Amino acid sequence: MILNLIEKFALGKYGKWFGLLCRLTLGGVLFAAGWLKIFTPTKSQMAVRAYEVLPISLANFLGIFLPWFEVGLGVLLILGIGVKLSAFFGGALMVLFIAAISQAWARGLSIDCGCFGGGGTVDPGETKYLSEILRDIGLALMGLYLFRYPLTRFAVEKLTKTERE
Amino acid sequence: MATSSSGGDKFTRNLVIAMVALVVVVGAGFSYFGSKGSTTAAIPSSVSKDDGYGIVFNADVPNVPTIDIYEDFQCPVCARFAGINGMTIEKVIEEKKAKVVYHVLSFLGTESILAANASACAADEGKFLAFHKAFYNNQPAENAGAINADFLKSVGAAVGITSPEFATCVDNGGYADWVRNVAEAAAKANVNSTPTVFVNGKEIDRNTDYFNVEAFAKAIAG
Repeated sequence: MILNLIEKFALGKYGKWFGLLCRLTLGGVLFAAGWLKIFTPTKSQMAVRAYEVLPISLANFLGIFLPWFEVGLGVLLILGIGVKLSAFFGGALMVLFIAAISQAWARGLSIDCGCFGGGGTVDPGETKYLSEILRDIGLALMGLYLFRYPLTRFAVEKLTKTERE
Repeated sequence: MATSSSGGDKFTRNLVIAMVALVVVVGAGFSYFGSKGSTTAAIPSSVSKDDGYGIVFNADVPNVPTIDIYEDFQCPVCARFAGINGMTIEKVIEEKKAKVVYHVLSFLGTESILAANASACAADEGKFLAFHKAFYNNQPAENAGAINADFLKSVGAAVGITSPEFATCVDNGGYADWVRNVAEAAAKANVNSTPTVFVNGKEIDRNTDYFNVEAFAKAIAG
Protein backbone atom coordinates (compact mmCIF):
# COMPACT_ATOMS: atom_id res chain seq x y z
CA MET A 1 0.00 0.00 0.00
CA ILE A 2 2.44 2.60 1.19
CA LEU A 3 4.99 1.07 -1.13
CA ASN A 4 2.61 1.68 -4.00
CA LEU A 5 2.33 5.31 -3.02
CA ILE A 6 6.10 5.64 -2.88
CA GLU A 7 6.40 3.97 -6.25
CA LYS A 8 3.86 6.33 -7.70
CA PHE A 9 5.71 9.31 -6.29
CA ALA A 10 9.12 8.06 -7.40
CA LEU A 11 8.00 7.51 -10.98
CA GLY A 12 5.98 10.71 -11.03
CA LYS A 13 6.92 14.28 -11.78
CA TYR A 14 8.90 14.95 -8.61
CA GLY A 15 10.50 11.57 -8.10
CA LYS A 16 13.79 12.38 -9.79
CA TRP A 17 13.99 15.72 -8.01
CA PHE A 18 13.55 13.99 -4.71
CA GLY A 19 16.25 11.55 -5.84
CA LEU A 20 18.55 14.50 -6.44
CA LEU A 21 17.78 15.80 -2.96
CA CYS A 22 18.60 12.39 -1.47
CA ARG A 23 21.82 12.16 -3.46
CA LEU A 24 23.04 15.56 -2.36
CA THR A 25 21.99 15.05 1.26
CA LEU A 26 23.38 11.55 1.76
CA GLY A 27 26.40 12.30 -0.44
CA GLY A 28 27.02 15.66 1.19
CA VAL A 29 26.79 14.24 4.71
CA LEU A 30 29.10 11.33 3.85
CA PHE A 31 31.62 13.60 2.17
CA ALA A 32 31.64 16.12 5.03
CA ALA A 33 31.79 13.42 7.69
CA GLY A 34 34.72 11.73 5.98
CA TRP A 35 36.56 14.94 5.16
CA LEU A 36 36.45 16.17 8.75
CA LYS A 37 38.15 12.96 9.94
CA ILE A 38 40.70 12.35 7.21
CA PHE A 39 43.33 14.65 8.67
CA THR A 40 43.17 13.38 12.25
CA PRO A 41 43.47 9.61 11.86
CA THR A 42 44.47 8.94 15.46
CA LYS A 43 41.36 10.74 16.68
CA SER A 44 39.20 8.82 14.27
CA GLN A 45 40.72 5.55 15.48
CA MET A 46 39.93 6.61 19.02
CA ALA A 47 36.30 7.24 18.06
CA VAL A 48 35.91 3.74 16.62
CA ARG A 49 37.61 2.10 19.62
CA ALA A 50 35.27 3.92 21.99
CA TYR A 51 32.32 1.84 20.74
CA GLU A 52 34.01 -1.16 22.37
CA VAL A 53 32.69 -3.60 19.81
CA LEU A 54 35.61 -4.52 17.61
CA PRO A 55 39.02 -5.90 18.49
CA ILE A 56 41.42 -2.98 18.91
CA SER A 57 43.45 -3.69 15.79
CA LEU A 58 40.35 -3.87 13.60
CA ALA A 59 38.94 -0.71 15.19
CA ASN A 60 42.21 1.08 14.47
CA PHE A 61 42.09 -0.09 10.86
CA LEU A 62 38.50 1.09 10.42
CA GLY A 63 39.32 4.43 12.03
CA ILE A 64 41.71 5.07 9.16
CA PHE A 65 39.77 3.43 6.33
CA LEU A 66 36.20 4.63 7.04
CA PRO A 67 36.78 8.38 6.54
CA TRP A 68 38.29 7.78 3.09
CA PHE A 69 35.49 5.35 2.21
CA GLU A 70 32.90 7.94 3.23
CA VAL A 71 34.56 10.60 1.10
CA GLY A 72 34.60 8.21 -1.88
CA LEU A 73 30.91 7.37 -1.53
CA GLY A 74 30.11 11.04 -1.04
CA VAL A 75 31.87 12.03 -4.25
CA LEU A 76 30.08 9.34 -6.27
CA LEU A 77 26.68 10.28 -4.88
CA ILE A 78 27.16 14.00 -5.41
CA LEU A 79 28.33 13.47 -8.98
CA GLY A 80 25.66 10.88 -9.60
CA ILE A 81 27.91 8.07 -10.75
CA GLY A 82 27.29 4.49 -9.71
CA VAL A 83 24.34 5.75 -7.69
CA LYS A 84 22.81 2.34 -7.05
CA LEU A 85 26.07 0.92 -5.76
CA SER A 86 27.13 3.91 -3.67
CA ALA A 87 23.61 4.34 -2.27
CA PHE A 88 23.72 0.71 -1.23
CA PHE A 89 27.00 1.11 0.63
CA GLY A 90 25.99 4.51 2.03
CA GLY A 91 22.72 3.10 3.35
CA ALA A 92 24.43 -0.01 4.70
CA LEU A 93 26.98 2.18 6.51
CA MET A 94 24.14 4.09 8.15
CA VAL A 95 22.54 0.83 9.31
CA LEU A 96 25.87 -0.21 10.83
CA PHE A 97 26.21 3.19 12.53
CA ILE A 98 22.69 2.88 13.93
CA ALA A 99 23.52 -0.55 15.31
CA ALA A 100 26.82 0.65 16.77
CA ILE A 101 25.30 3.71 18.45
CA SER A 102 22.32 1.71 19.74
CA GLN A 103 24.52 -0.90 21.38
CA ALA A 104 26.63 1.85 22.99
CA TRP A 105 23.46 3.43 24.34
CA ALA A 106 22.03 0.11 25.52
CA ARG A 107 25.25 -0.81 27.31
CA GLY A 108 25.38 2.53 29.06
CA LEU A 109 28.64 3.71 27.48
CA SER A 110 29.05 7.45 27.29
CA ILE A 111 30.65 8.24 23.96
CA ASP A 112 30.37 10.77 21.20
CA CYS A 113 29.47 9.06 17.92
CA GLY A 114 32.50 10.65 16.29
CA CYS A 115 30.50 10.98 13.11
CA PHE A 116 31.95 14.34 12.10
CA GLY A 117 35.30 14.15 13.83
CA GLY A 118 35.45 14.27 17.59
CA GLY A 119 34.40 11.07 19.26
CA GLY A 120 35.69 9.05 22.13
CA THR A 121 34.48 8.91 25.69
CA VAL A 122 32.55 11.95 26.92
CA ASP A 123 30.85 12.96 30.15
CA PRO A 124 27.66 10.95 30.71
CA GLY A 125 25.55 14.12 30.36
CA GLU A 126 26.94 14.91 26.94
CA THR A 127 25.70 11.97 24.92
CA LYS A 128 23.16 12.58 22.18
CA TYR A 129 22.33 9.08 21.07
CA LEU A 130 18.71 9.69 20.08
CA SER A 131 19.38 12.54 17.67
CA GLU A 132 22.32 10.67 16.19
CA ILE A 133 20.18 7.60 15.58
CA LEU A 134 17.26 9.56 14.12
CA ARG A 135 19.60 11.37 11.73
CA ASP A 136 21.14 8.11 10.59
CA ILE A 137 17.71 6.50 10.10
CA GLY A 138 16.76 9.38 7.81
CA LEU A 139 19.98 8.97 5.85
CA ALA A 140 19.56 5.20 5.64
CA LEU A 141 16.07 5.66 4.18
CA MET A 142 17.49 8.05 1.59
CA GLY A 143 20.05 5.41 0.68
CA LEU A 144 17.28 2.84 0.33
CA TYR A 145 15.24 5.17 -1.90
CA LEU A 146 18.23 5.79 -4.16
CA PHE A 147 19.01 2.10 -4.31
CA ARG A 148 15.48 1.42 -5.50
CA TYR A 149 15.19 4.50 -7.75
CA PRO A 150 18.73 5.40 -8.82
CA LEU A 151 17.66 7.53 -11.77
CA THR A 152 17.78 11.15 -10.60
CA ARG A 153 18.07 14.69 -11.92
CA PHE A 154 21.47 16.15 -12.82
CA ALA A 155 23.38 12.92 -12.49
CA VAL A 156 26.56 12.64 -14.53
CA GLU A 157 25.81 9.04 -15.29
CA LYS A 158 23.10 8.10 -17.77
CA LEU A 159 21.78 4.70 -16.87
CA THR A 160 21.76 2.14 -19.63
CA LYS A 161 18.44 0.92 -20.92
CA THR A 162 18.44 -2.38 -19.10
CA GLU A 163 19.24 -0.74 -15.77
CA ARG A 164 16.42 1.72 -16.20
CA GLU A 165 13.76 -0.93 -16.36
CA MET B 1 15.03 6.78 -24.29
CA ALA B 2 18.05 4.55 -24.69
CA THR B 3 21.03 6.39 -25.99
CA SER B 4 23.30 4.92 -28.57
CA SER B 5 26.31 5.60 -26.37
CA SER B 6 25.02 3.62 -23.41
CA GLY B 7 27.93 1.19 -23.67
CA GLY B 8 30.38 4.09 -23.48
CA ASP B 9 28.54 5.50 -20.50
CA LYS B 10 28.93 2.27 -18.69
CA PHE B 11 32.66 2.18 -19.37
CA THR B 12 33.09 5.76 -18.18
CA ARG B 13 31.08 5.02 -15.09
CA ASN B 14 33.18 2.01 -14.18
CA LEU B 15 36.32 4.00 -14.83
CA VAL B 16 35.21 6.78 -12.48
CA ILE B 17 34.20 4.28 -9.80
CA ALA B 18 37.56 2.53 -10.14
CA MET B 19 39.39 5.84 -9.86
CA VAL B 20 37.48 6.85 -6.75
CA ALA B 21 38.15 3.42 -5.25
CA LEU B 22 41.85 3.81 -6.02
CA VAL B 23 41.98 7.23 -4.34
CA VAL B 24 40.23 5.77 -1.29
CA VAL B 25 42.70 2.91 -0.99
CA VAL B 26 45.79 5.03 -1.63
CA GLY B 27 44.56 7.76 0.72
CA ALA B 28 43.84 5.29 3.49
CA GLY B 29 47.29 3.78 2.91
CA PHE B 30 48.91 7.19 3.32
CA SER B 31 46.95 7.83 6.51
CA TYR B 32 47.99 4.45 7.83
CA PHE B 33 51.69 4.78 7.16
CA GLY B 34 51.64 8.45 8.13
CA SER B 35 50.35 7.65 11.60
CA LYS B 36 52.51 4.59 12.10
CA GLY B 37 55.28 4.71 14.64
CA SER B 38 58.95 4.22 13.94
CA THR B 39 61.39 1.96 15.72
CA THR B 40 64.23 4.32 14.88
CA ALA B 41 62.59 7.43 16.34
CA ALA B 42 64.75 9.69 18.50
CA ILE B 43 63.55 9.25 22.05
CA PRO B 44 63.73 11.87 24.80
CA SER B 45 65.40 11.09 28.09
CA SER B 46 63.35 9.30 30.77
CA VAL B 47 61.17 7.70 28.11
CA SER B 48 60.57 4.00 28.24
CA LYS B 49 59.44 1.96 25.26
CA ASP B 50 58.00 -0.64 27.63
CA ASP B 51 55.79 2.03 29.16
CA GLY B 52 54.19 2.94 25.85
CA TYR B 53 56.93 5.48 25.06
CA GLY B 54 55.70 7.58 27.98
CA ILE B 55 57.83 9.98 30.01
CA VAL B 56 58.53 8.11 33.23
CA PHE B 57 59.08 9.34 36.76
CA ASN B 58 60.27 7.10 39.61
CA ALA B 59 61.01 4.25 37.20
CA ASP B 60 63.17 2.44 39.76
CA VAL B 61 61.12 2.81 42.91
CA PRO B 62 60.04 -0.68 43.98
CA ASN B 63 56.61 -1.77 45.21
CA VAL B 64 54.64 1.31 44.24
CA PRO B 65 51.61 1.57 41.94
CA THR B 66 52.05 2.68 38.33
CA ILE B 67 50.00 5.66 37.24
CA ASP B 68 49.63 6.19 33.49
CA ILE B 69 48.32 9.61 32.48
CA TYR B 70 47.21 10.19 28.88
CA GLU B 71 46.75 13.78 27.79
CA ASP B 72 46.75 16.00 24.75
CA PHE B 73 48.29 19.42 25.33
CA GLN B 74 45.48 21.03 23.36
CA CYS B 75 42.62 19.38 25.21
CA PRO B 76 40.81 21.90 27.43
CA VAL B 77 39.60 19.21 29.82
CA CYS B 78 43.24 18.16 30.29
CA ALA B 79 44.05 21.72 31.37
CA ARG B 80 41.19 21.53 33.86
CA PHE B 81 42.42 18.14 35.04
CA ALA B 82 45.97 19.42 35.44
CA GLY B 83 44.71 22.45 37.34
CA ILE B 84 42.80 20.29 39.80
CA ASN B 85 45.19 17.36 40.24
CA GLY B 86 48.58 18.71 39.18
CA MET B 87 49.71 19.35 42.74
CA THR B 88 48.65 15.89 43.88
CA ILE B 89 50.56 14.23 41.06
CA GLU B 90 53.69 16.30 41.61
CA LYS B 91 53.61 15.46 45.29
CA VAL B 92 53.23 11.74 44.58
CA ILE B 93 56.23 11.94 42.25
CA GLU B 94 58.30 13.94 44.73
CA GLU B 95 57.56 11.58 47.62
CA LYS B 96 58.19 8.56 45.39
CA LYS B 97 54.80 7.06 46.22
CA ALA B 98 54.15 5.93 42.67
CA LYS B 99 55.72 5.43 39.29
CA VAL B 100 54.12 8.06 37.06
CA VAL B 101 54.08 7.83 33.26
CA TYR B 102 52.99 10.77 31.13
CA HIS B 103 51.74 9.93 27.63
CA VAL B 104 51.51 13.08 25.53
CA LEU B 105 48.98 12.34 22.80
CA SER B 106 48.47 14.35 19.64
CA PHE B 107 45.08 13.42 18.23
CA LEU B 108 43.79 17.00 18.22
CA GLY B 109 46.06 18.05 15.39
CA THR B 110 49.43 19.36 14.35
CA GLU B 111 49.71 21.89 17.16
CA SER B 112 49.40 19.01 19.62
CA ILE B 113 52.43 17.43 17.95
CA LEU B 114 54.40 20.66 18.33
CA ALA B 115 53.50 20.90 22.01
CA ALA B 116 54.28 17.23 22.66
CA ASN B 117 57.62 17.63 20.92
CA ALA B 118 58.44 20.69 23.05
CA SER B 119 57.50 18.83 26.23
CA ALA B 120 60.00 16.13 25.25
CA CYS B 121 62.63 18.83 24.76
CA ALA B 122 61.80 20.04 28.27
CA ALA B 123 62.10 16.46 29.56
CA ASP B 124 65.65 16.41 28.21
CA GLU B 125 66.31 19.41 30.46
CA GLY B 126 64.74 17.62 33.41
CA LYS B 127 61.87 20.11 33.41
CA PHE B 128 58.95 18.22 31.92
CA LEU B 129 56.67 18.77 34.93
CA ALA B 130 57.39 22.49 35.12
CA PHE B 131 56.84 22.90 31.37
CA HIS B 132 53.67 20.83 31.54
CA LYS B 133 52.25 22.97 34.32
CA ALA B 134 53.19 26.29 32.73
CA PHE B 135 51.74 25.19 29.39
CA TYR B 136 48.38 24.27 30.88
CA ASN B 137 48.26 27.48 32.86
CA ASN B 138 48.55 29.35 29.55
CA GLN B 139 46.85 26.88 27.22
CA PRO B 140 45.93 28.66 23.96
CA ALA B 141 42.77 27.93 21.98
CA GLU B 142 42.73 24.70 19.98
CA ASN B 143 44.38 24.76 16.54
CA ALA B 144 44.24 28.55 16.32
CA GLY B 145 47.83 28.93 15.22
CA ALA B 146 48.88 30.15 18.67
CA ILE B 147 50.97 27.10 19.54
CA ASN B 148 54.12 27.73 17.55
CA ALA B 149 57.84 27.57 18.25
CA ASP B 150 57.94 31.09 19.72
CA PHE B 151 55.12 30.36 22.11
CA LEU B 152 56.61 27.03 23.19
CA LYS B 153 60.02 28.62 23.78
CA SER B 154 58.40 31.34 25.87
CA VAL B 155 56.70 28.65 27.99
CA GLY B 156 60.10 27.05 28.43
CA ALA B 157 61.71 30.36 29.33
CA ALA B 158 59.01 30.98 31.93
CA VAL B 159 60.15 27.88 33.82
CA GLY B 160 63.82 28.65 33.39
CA ILE B 161 64.71 26.64 30.30
CA THR B 162 66.96 28.95 28.39
CA SER B 163 69.49 26.61 26.81
CA PRO B 164 70.12 26.84 23.09
CA GLU B 165 69.61 23.06 22.88
CA PHE B 166 66.01 23.48 23.98
CA ALA B 167 65.39 26.17 21.37
CA THR B 168 66.92 24.01 18.64
CA CYS B 169 64.94 21.01 19.79
CA VAL B 170 61.67 22.98 19.65
CA ASP B 171 62.50 24.45 16.25
CA ASN B 172 63.52 21.18 14.67
CA GLY B 173 60.64 19.09 15.94
CA GLY B 174 63.03 16.16 16.13
CA TYR B 175 60.77 14.16 18.43
CA ALA B 176 57.85 14.10 15.98
CA ASP B 177 58.44 10.41 15.23
CA TRP B 178 58.44 9.66 18.93
CA VAL B 179 55.12 11.55 19.27
CA ARG B 180 53.64 9.14 16.71
CA ASN B 181 55.03 6.21 18.69
CA VAL B 182 53.28 7.50 21.80
CA ALA B 183 50.01 7.79 19.87
CA GLU B 184 50.34 4.31 18.41
CA ALA B 185 51.06 2.77 21.80
CA ALA B 186 48.03 4.55 23.31
CA ALA B 187 45.86 3.22 20.49
CA LYS B 188 47.00 -0.29 21.34
CA ALA B 189 46.29 0.37 25.02
CA ASN B 190 42.69 1.28 24.07
CA VAL B 191 42.83 4.85 25.33
CA ASN B 192 39.72 6.53 23.95
CA SER B 193 39.66 9.90 25.61
CA THR B 194 41.83 12.51 27.26
CA PRO B 195 42.57 12.80 30.04
CA THR B 196 42.68 9.10 30.82
CA VAL B 197 44.30 7.77 33.98
CA PHE B 198 45.23 4.16 34.57
CA VAL B 199 46.35 2.90 37.97
CA ASN B 200 48.18 -0.39 37.60
CA GLY B 201 46.65 -0.77 34.14
CA LYS B 202 43.07 -0.15 35.23
CA GLU B 203 41.19 3.08 34.51
CA ILE B 204 39.98 5.10 37.47
CA ASP B 205 36.26 5.92 37.59
CA ARG B 206 35.36 8.53 34.99
CA ASN B 207 32.17 9.43 36.82
CA THR B 208 33.75 10.34 40.12
CA ASP B 209 37.55 10.38 40.22
CA TYR B 210 38.81 12.79 37.60
CA PHE B 211 37.86 16.24 38.78
CA ASN B 212 37.74 15.96 42.53
CA VAL B 213 40.96 16.42 44.49
CA GLU B 214 40.12 13.98 47.30
CA ALA B 215 38.60 11.32 45.07
CA PHE B 216 41.55 11.50 42.69
CA ALA B 217 44.12 11.25 45.46
CA LYS B 218 42.31 8.22 46.82
CA ALA B 219 41.98 6.59 43.39
CA ILE B 220 45.68 6.85 42.60
CA ALA B 221 46.80 5.62 46.01
CA GLY B 222 46.63 2.13 44.45
